[in-house]
Amino acid sequence: MKKTLALALVVLMMFGVLAGCQPSTPAPSSPSPDAPPVQSDEPAPPPVDTNEPVELVVVTTYGGDDGNRQNYEAAYQAYEVATGNKVLDASDTSNEVFKAKVLTDFETGSEPDVLFYFSGVDSNPFVEAGKVVSIDEIRAEYPEYASNMKDSMLANSPADGKKYSVPVNGYWEGMFTNVKVLEAAGVAIPGADYTWDQFLADCQKIKDAGFTPVGVSLQEVPHYWFEFTIFNHGNVDNHLDMPENGTDAVAQKWAEGLADIKELYDLGYLPVNTLTATDGDTVQLVGDGEAAFLIDGSWKIGWFEQNCADHLEDFIVTYVPSKGGDRKASDVVSGLSSGYFITRKAWDDPAKRDAAVKFVMAMTTDDVVSAFGATSVTALKNGTTPPADASSLTLSALEMLKGTTGAVAAVQDNIPPEIRGVMFNDLKNVITGSKTAATLIDETLAAMNNQ
Amino acid sequence: MNSTIYKKKGPLVFFLIPALLFMAVFLFYPFIMNIANSFQRITQLGSSAQGMNDPWYANYQKLFNDPIMGTALKNTMLLMLATIVFEVGFALILGLLVDNIKVGTQFFRTVYFFPIVISATALGLLFNLIFLYNGGMLNQMLVKFLGLSDYIDWKDSNHFLFTMLAPIMWQYVGFYFVIIVTGLNNISGEIYEAAAIDGAQGLKRTRYITLPLLRNVLSTCLILAITGALKVFDLPWIMFSTGIPLDESWLTGTYMYAQAFVFKDVDYSSTIAVVIVVLGVVISQIANRVFKEVDY
Repeated sequence: MKKTLALALVVLMMFGVLAGCQPSTPAPSSPSPDAPPVQSDEPAPPPVDTNEPVELVVVTTYGGDDGNRQNYEAAYQAYEVATGNKVLDASDTSNEVFKAKVLTDFETGSEPDVLFYFSGVDSNPFVEAGKVVSIDEIRAEYPEYASNMKDSMLANSPADGKKYSVPVNGYWEGMFTNVKVLEAAGVAIPGADYTWDQFLADCQKIKDAGFTPVGVSLQEVPHYWFEFTIFNHGNVDNHLDMPENGTDAVAQKWAEGLADIKELYDLGYLPVNTLTATDGDTVQLVGDGEAAFLIDGSWKIGWFEQNCADHLEDFIVTYVPSKGGDRKASDVVSGLSSGYFITRKAWDDPAKRDAAVKFVMAMTTDDVVSAFGATSVTALKNGTTPPADASSLTLSALEMLKGTTGAVAAVQDNIPPEIRGVMFNDLKNVITGSKTAATLIDETLAAMNNQ
Repeated sequence: MNSTIYKKKGPLVFFLIPALLFMAVFLFYPFIMNIANSFQRITQLGSSAQGMNDPWYANYQKLFNDPIMGTALKNTMLLMLATIVFEVGFALILGLLVDNIKVGTQFFRTVYFFPIVISATALGLLFNLIFLYNGGMLNQMLVKFLGLSDYIDWKDSNHFLFTMLAPIMWQYVGFYFVIIVTGLNNISGEIYEAAAIDGAQGLKRTRYITLPLLRNVLSTCLILAITGALKVFDLPWIMFSTGIPLDESWLTGTYMYAQAFVFKDVDYSSTIAVVIVVLGVVISQIANRVFKEVDY
């Protein structure tokens, strides 16, 4: 009796241990990770219209506390009602762990049917593996696919130059300004002709008045200042050029940009604890009226609307000052860095192909894109419609965007994320003078060449 | 009814197999793979290796030339030293004090042990607010009560060591305190009575009776503290991620994590992990020999 009981317990325990090994997603119908990529010119099976509801596995970055989570849910639920299909949403907050999980899913053949993901170098691994379908291939069968978008604004994959993703809303970067601080320091509100010299003079006045001129955490988020100070020594046409070594003309441009950040640091215009504070700490300085300027992206509007609702009129979005080069202050950094991909797995599944295409089309209509961000840069042919109850900061951002004279994507997106992370972590050493800009550029290029 | 199951060893071995399998799959296999990864090129989390490094020991070469790894090792050793002196040291003093009071022993046990039950992440956030530059509790108190004119950046080069070590010490003192108090309770009252008759009181009693009889308990505490110091990660990571300020606060654990999850140098991270394991085995062996328990 005891023997039987003991045996039963052992079997139960072993099942218990192995229970966690059960896959959480359905078994892949795609080839194994080691199989060669499927050629796009192979004849694909036609879609099957069975009228049976289809379950689509969808992964996006609209998870967690993303500002567009509610808009995303409303859009895909409307799709579910319209088609009867079911969306198995596995969205998550966009961070490095999320990116790693997406790549692992592609490696192991567990990729979703539709993916909303970064269209730059981050997508190279699965584009190179032939695991997503190009827009041209989809249009061969669905000519109306992404037809409401300007083709010229759809991102070309850095891997092969083809277009794979349909964007929703892009980003812009500008200078959030606390006008109350400017008033207290006797500084005029900057406009489209703001120069670096005026900016330095204003920073001194702001500092003399007892405020911190610039809110930035150089140890955590130096990205925006990196981008604009380099842009200041070039123009829209050559901003995306990459240096070939630490001393060529482009590297010189980068070095001069970094020297400008160092100048701000040396003059004491950055927070005292800029090398130890978090981005949250320094953004809060601007929100609390202790700092005047903050360069950040379109996504920061939501932060101000949520955290400074009772004094939102204190803030405007304006242009980052220009310096010397051909860049005008009204030339901005903006782009469409993410979009919906349809995976080869879903495309090759006759039951899912139509559902996946219709899903992406439903998620990228003019109305949905407008709901996701009225101030966003979009690829819509008709543009977005701002909501009637837009906040003063949203209207300020729209005003700023209306006055832009040129736009270019971020040059840092040309650097693979893992190397970019190391470079930005090392930027503090250039700012504090323990490393030269040329050395940093050489190290970055060497790491890129070793990839 | 008989007890055959206890006489035959077969079923017992059978019971051990699931746990062994579990360890093999989730500890030994990953560790062996980790050693293999340290010789390969892996540039993305979740992606497979792109072949062997050239030369195959490149990461180990890099390790010896990496100044940040030197900083991380130095800080880890400092943390270990601080753990011995402050965690076990304070715990011993508090234990001796509490052992000499008649009432409230249970109260102090609970109060001192309490930080252990709070998650390190929550503690990290708590201490971040205490040491915050603008509006942090400590800076506000210093300005208000001591009349300081400027705030102190508690995470800069002059203060980061204190700011990093103090919360860790504070968190674990209670753990060793409880072990030491339990050890003190196990010392027979008759020995103290005999000592009192012989005239040993106060510090003499502590020096010649309590501490020698507490030797094995203290040895256990020291071994736990030393090996535990090698694994400290969460609290420093919350407060000092990316080695602020200026790469000065890295520990081996935080540096390994950053290499894998922030800088995506997965193979180099594996190399650091190998070093941590080797260091852990060597140091725990030394600690076991130095603080060997003795029979009285």
